[in-house]
Amino acid sequence: MTLTRADIAKYPFVSDAAEEIRREDLDIQSLDNPELKEIVDRAVERIEEALKNNPPKVSYREREEDIEIPSFPVAIILAAASENNYLKRRYALAEAMRAYELLREEKREKFLDVARAFNWRIRSLTDEVGGRRFDFAISFIDYLRNARSFHESGFKLVNRPLRRGEVFLTKREAARLLREEIRRRIESRLEANVRSRLPESLLDRVEALNRRYASSVEERFIEELSGGMNEDALPPCIRELLSAAKDGRHISHLGRFTLTSFLLNIGVKPSEIVDLFRSSSDFNERMTRYQVEHIAGRRGSGTRYIPPSCETLKTHGLCPGSSDICRGVNHPLAAYRRRVRTFKKPP
Amino acid sequence: MDRIAFIRDRFAEFYEENASKIEAPSSISKREFGFFTFQENIVIRHKGFVSVGDLRDFIRRIVPSHVYYSAAYYEMPEEPMENKGWLGADLYFDIDADHIPTRCGKIHDTWRCRSCGFEGKGMVPDECPACGGKSFDEQKWPCEICLESAKHEALKLLDFLLEDFGFSLEEIEVSFSGHRGYHIQVESEAIRELDSVARKEIVDYVTGVGLEPTYHGLDGSPGGRRVKSGPCLDEMGWRGRIARGVHEYLLSATRDDLEELGLKKMIIEEILSRREEILRSWERGGPWTMIRGMSIDMWRRIIKRAVEFQSARIDTVVTTDVHRLIRLSNTLHGKTGWLKINVPADALESFDPLSSAVAFKRGEVTLYVREAPEFRLGEETFGPFRDVKVELPMAAAIFLLCKNAAEVVD
Repeated sequence: MTLTRADIAKYPFVSDAAEEIRREDLDIQSLDNPELKEIVDRAVERIEEALKNNPPKVSYREREEDIEIPSFPVAIILAAASENNYLKRRYALAEAMRAYELLREEKREKFLDVARAFNWRIRSLTDEVGGRRFDFAISFIDYLRNARSFHESGFKLVNRPLRRGEVFLTKREAARLLREEIRRRIESRLEANVRSRLPESLLDRVEALNRRYASSVEERFIEELSGGMNEDALPPCIRELLSAAKDGRHISHLGRFTLTSFLLNIGVKPSEIVDLFRSSSDFNERMTRYQVEHIAGRRGSGTRYIPPSCETLKTHGLCPGSSDICRGVNHPLAAYRRRVRTFKKPP
Repeated sequence: MDRIAFIRDRFAEFYEENASKIEAPSSISKREFGFFTFQENIVIRHKGFVSVGDLRDFIRRIVPSHVYYSAAYYEMPEEPMENKGWLGADLYFDIDADHIPTRCGKIHDTWRCRSCGFEGKGMVPDECPACGGKSFDEQKWPCEICLESAKHEALKLLDFLLEDFGFSLEEIEVSFSGHRGYHIQVESEAIRELDSVARKEIVDYVTGVGLEPTYHGLDGSPGGRRVKSGPCLDEMGWRGRIARGVHEYLLSATRDDLEELGLKKMIIEEILSRREEILRSWERGGPWTMIRGMSIDMWRRIIKRAVEFQSARIDTVVTTDVHRLIRLSNTLHGKTGWLKINVPADALESFDPLSSAVAFKRGEVTLYVREAPEFRLGEETFGPFRDVKVELPMAAAIFLLCKNAAEVVD
């Protein structure tokens, strides 16, 4: 590892940064020490930038290592103390965005140092595959851990060059992947329980952040759809499963789970779903009722299940091919809800 | 004598003598075990063992029809599912002739309508041609073609695992399932903690789901319909596979195949009349630009077929399920009386399951066989049988009894 103090100011989340803090001897109870005011101010500002900027992004201040480095762990403490999920998620993303933009400008060697701080198995290369130049090869395990949340087809493993366990990436793609790793790392640090140990004056500042940005918090509620199902709005996969169930045709285990969880989520009653499976040759009322209620969260662990995503349905051969209803969505429930909403709109 | 009791007695004798050959899966104390028993088809799950000796004793004592263990590792394997404490799982692939369209058309399989009794051969229809009934009793038979097809898929999968995913032969265990397929297990610290989302990406990779040819070298002029270039035969990963699949397709496609793809008449004529030249073109960049009028969309249709040839047909659910129970090697399969056995990956090509998986090698029994297709075990071929009394070597007899196609004649 050859990261300098200037590097750590850029990427304060790498493990060396934590050591830096220990050296500076910052402990939570004494954060109200007036000597630390500048650091705490910058920490609050980091969070403010995350909440204010769109897309969320923390700024980078060159040649201010003495403030930049310690203000990061303090910001982590403050964000964790907010116990506000929106604030925490947004802050983690904003720090990751900051690092992403800096990483894209770095030389390869520096990039490797940062990636290896996350234990990535990564190496530099200058290979061309079919005329396209790649900068890095990374183990497919590290790749999958991070690319899983990307929905672009170009990030699907099946669409990447994969050789002897290594995925080839351009620098820009590798930076995008590292951004996700950084976001997750920071988000996990924000789970720390620090609120009770925070001095009063700092708690006030955290609460001020919470209040000030509460109005911009978009609380998204899942639309409760009542009045049962709107058959015209069903995506093709569910339509297919539904007609198979009505005809008593064989449906795979995953197919039955998909149909049941979908219908429960759009407000169909469990008893109606049980009736639906009646024409099945191996229908067993008691078993079916148990399974439907289990998926509804009325039994067992109490988890209420949602149907699998479009991608999962494709993998298991349950997607009959998308239709207009599915355009631009990646979940059958999303397709259905959008369609229902457009039906509701006055002409 | 009762069929089930007879099978159970032979299984009991077998395990008395051969349970010592059952090996413990790695980290045995972290695995869940499951068993089917002959009596009333009871399932015993959530069993744990600390040593292979205990496991062998248990198998000798209860004489199961099937023995399974979890691909997963748990802190406490005997607890109910939600308390087990999942620690990780091996990467597991199941290849079964059931999931492969085979050349035999499964003509050896039979089905019988539960409502009217109408019988037929081959794949089970959606509805009974006689009465429209939708529920059937099925009888499936493994045949040489089914087993060869499954092996072919396993070999393709091995290539993915070694060349693309970079696993070593030491990390991979290939086995014959004891019925109609093969299992491939990857045991490696690196993949143990992959969740089912990540495993799904691996499944999509080997099955070619979501593959977009433009990421693999199919290059069209921007916004245009013409192709400028495409992948070559000797490239690695999906690029080479696409090229080889297209080659295979163009080599063998008949007029009917090409028409089925919806290609224009003129293009079909061109492909058929210039086939030799097209195949030779791989020596210098491939046929991507040489067929007049061939649009990028038409190439995509051919590539779609190429991907079907080149992908490995696996049971997708098994690989993404991180709690799956899988059959234990060197135990008997209750539907055949054959063994699940390991095969060295580099010896798979020449492996003959119908010799190697035979468990019962002593004695003869007289059976009354209702119906069975011709089948081979080792060097010997038996059947076809229909309503006959016949004396058979034990392995063949157990096979027919397990298949519920015969009764023991006292």
